[in-house]
Amino acid sequence: MDILYLLIPLSVILVLMILAGLWWAIYQGQFESVEQEGERIFRND
Amino acid sequence: MSTNSSTLPDMASHVLLDDPQEWAAFGRLRRPAGSGTQDAVAGQAVHGALAEVSPDAVWESNVVLEGMHCAACALTIEDALRSVPGVEQVDVSAATHRARVVWRSSRVLPSQWMAAVQKAGYRALPAMDSHARAQRQRENRRALWRWLVAGFCMMQVMMYAWPAYVAQPGDLTGEMEQLLRWASWVLTLPVVFFACGPFFTSALRDIRLRRVSMDLPVALGMAITFVVSTAGTFDPAGIFGREVYFDSLTMFVFFLLTGRWLELRLRDRTAGALEAVMNRLPDSVERRGADGVFARVVTRRLAVGDTIRVLPGEAFPADGCITSGSTQSDEALLTGESTPVARPLGSQVTAGSYNLQAPVEVRVEGVGGQTRFAQILALMESASLQKPRLAQLADRIARPFLLAVLLAAGLAVAWWWPSDPGHALMVGVAVLIVTCPCALSLATPVAMLTAAGTLARHGVLVRNLQGLEALASVDTLVFDKTGTLTRDGMAVQAVRCAPGLTRDDALALAATLARQSMHPASRAIVAAASEASARWNAVDLREDAGLGLTAEIHDARGTVPPRMLRLGSARHAGVAAQNGGEALQVVLSEQGSDGQFAELARFDMIEDVRSEAADVVRALQQAGVAVQILSGDRLGAVQRVAAQAGISRAKGECSPQDKLAALQDLQAQGRQVAMVGDGLNDGPVLAGANVSFAFGRSVPLAQARADFVVLGGSLSLVPQTVLLARRTLRVVRQNLGWAVGYNALCVPLALVGWMPAWLAGLGMALSSLLVVLNAARLSRALHGVEVSALNLPEQAKATVRMTSASPSSLDPA
Repeated sequence: MDILYLLIPLSVILVLMILAGLWWAIYQGQFESVEQEGERIFRND
Repeated sequence: MSTNSSTLPDMASHVLLDDPQEWAAFGRLRRPAGSGTQDAVAGQAVHGALAEVSPDAVWESNVVLEGMHCAACALTIEDALRSVPGVEQVDVSAATHRARVVWRSSRVLPSQWMAAVQKAGYRALPAMDSHARAQRQRENRRALWRWLVAGFCMMQVMMYAWPAYVAQPGDLTGEMEQLLRWASWVLTLPVVFFACGPFFTSALRDIRLRRVSMDLPVALGMAITFVVSTAGTFDPAGIFGREVYFDSLTMFVFFLLTGRWLELRLRDRTAGALEAVMNRLPDSVERRGADGVFARVVTRRLAVGDTIRVLPGEAFPADGCITSGSTQSDEALLTGESTPVARPLGSQVTAGSYNLQAPVEVRVEGVGGQTRFAQILALMESASLQKPRLAQLADRIARPFLLAVLLAAGLAVAWWWPSDPGHALMVGVAVLIVTCPCALSLATPVAMLTAAGTLARHGVLVRNLQGLEALASVDTLVFDKTGTLTRDGMAVQAVRCAPGLTRDDALALAATLARQSMHPASRAIVAAASEASARWNAVDLREDAGLGLTAEIHDARGTVPPRMLRLGSARHAGVAAQNGGEALQVVLSEQGSDGQFAELARFDMIEDVRSEAADVVRALQQAGVAVQILSGDRLGAVQRVAAQAGISRAKGECSPQDKLAALQDLQAQGRQVAMVGDGLNDGPVLAGANVSFAFGRSVPLAQARADFVVLGGSLSLVPQTVLLARRTLRVVRQNLGWAVGYNALCVPLALVGWMPAWLAGLGMALSSLLVVLNAARLSRALHGVEVSALNLPEQAKATVRMTSASPSSLDPA
């Protein structure tokens, strides 16, 4: 049971880290043109 | 002009817009000062106007508004702009977040009225430039980010709330419960202070400006819930008790943001047909420089006389003439027809149509406001800014309704306070959150704009949104011209030949003469002859206007001596007239050596009624609409067309006054009349009808004075539009009914305390979402009409993607 005292604060930190990842993805424009990101591999440059 | 230091950077960019050269980029000259015509001429030659910008002129500018959340904001912005001296007219559309501002350049400058918008707490950006688009992207990203923060934190807060709900007394130690509450509180912080940001900022703005809008009750609700829960966490013995509502709070924030996010996406997709069309012109284009080398320049720099190269998959940026190469183009936007049109060397191309096949070089003949594309845009844009009657009504109700809700919430709190202050506040919160005047004010415009977008995709422009309401109740449809039912010209219905002559021979002989003439009957005979006959040559051809043709025919093979032939009316051909029924007759005769005429063949001509006309009339009659013709043409011709199209009531030889009188007669009988004409020289008649259609193929769009302009030639769009208008009105009625019913049911439930806060949030989000979703049903393709406008062939699509993805080196000069 005592481990919960550590795990609950850890879960808070984990959520904040996942949110940071989402922030990166959104502002990289990953969600704007889903097709275009996938097609990048076909491009020559 | 305000010189608030915090707004200085924005002000600086607005001041750039005070340069008259920039005004044409986001608006157009309404009229030079002095000339008193009120009619805005859409697509006025902006470039011509630039040459002589007078200091005192009336401009009409379009701006994108940022920070608008609901219909009440539209009223605020309108008020703010109207209070600026020099601004003459303002229309703000809540559904598209756009405004049309008419202002006088001698009294006010764009930076000044934009500053007024800013002072009201919003931002105005000039429409149709890349800046506005970038802004929109930033707004979209932030909305998505807020939604994700709310969603993620909500999930985790639910986890922390779970033990408190299921634990038996004694299961959960005091410290553990306190830890869970703290964890919930920490994860609620980003939700309240970041994800709810827009609600709070607009609520604060409302308070500062002493007015009520939709976000005020919602923000109040959130703030109260957060304060009560925080007090419960850190001071369980305090006045608000020890209950916490972090799960309810995060949940209804998430629901609200979900509703807003989906609403935003749907609106962009459905009612945003306008924007899809506007983005259709490419940003940049390859122009041939003085040295003969093609370089990319921004489209706005194009001028008449430039030569540009357009690759397959690209849209033509300007009207012009092909000077090298040949291709096919997709003109679906301009005509609603999906079949690609061949565009050989030397033919005209129009801005906004897609090049499908091969790279071509085009000499630019029209740019900017001169293009037909710009005229179509101007029409669509002005329609999207109109407020239909029902929407105005809803807007007027929204404000007193909100005040009543605030009052009711206050009373509810006062009523419950003595028994349990914490519970009393949560009842108040539920009342504040559950009310939804947004659904009420969105109900009409969303549906009508969606319908207008669908029609635009099929090639019908709605000039007047109110026309949709009128069209839904139409029970009589009058064709104002036989020309709308027929193609230009005639067709050969039957050929009766003299003995010894086949049909093909007769047509070949007649076509040899007819090829030299522009008369509709001649054109029909040429069209009917299977192919050009190389055998006969017409020599010494003479045309007697209104009668017919005479010529000497030589046989190229030399087997037959030259023949004297006549083609025309029976009198001209020198033979006896025959009663050929309704049809017009053309006779081919040969003059023998004795000077007597012998009949070779007789052609029965009919007006070339559109193949779909009969089906259209039947479809209209099935929909309960009576069809009539009132035409200025000869009675006989009108009756022939009516018979072929299956119209029983037809009146010919009508003067415009007769038509108007007949129209008023019908209206006096209580009928709702729709008029279909060409929209040009039948203005008064079209205006007299309850609702009007114009076929805009040959008409300058800006002059068409009808509620609906059909861009292509397809008649079948008329019954489709009628049916869509009926569906639209049905959706509007459903939406209004739902919005009123929802509020009437939920507000009392919340008042008596039967509505928990999370359910209130869900209800509110769903109610406005349902309205938008219901309207989205109208964006389905019209039944039986090819959808085309935005569907390119696969190959062209791929090319579009590739070209848009490749880095383009813009030449800023």
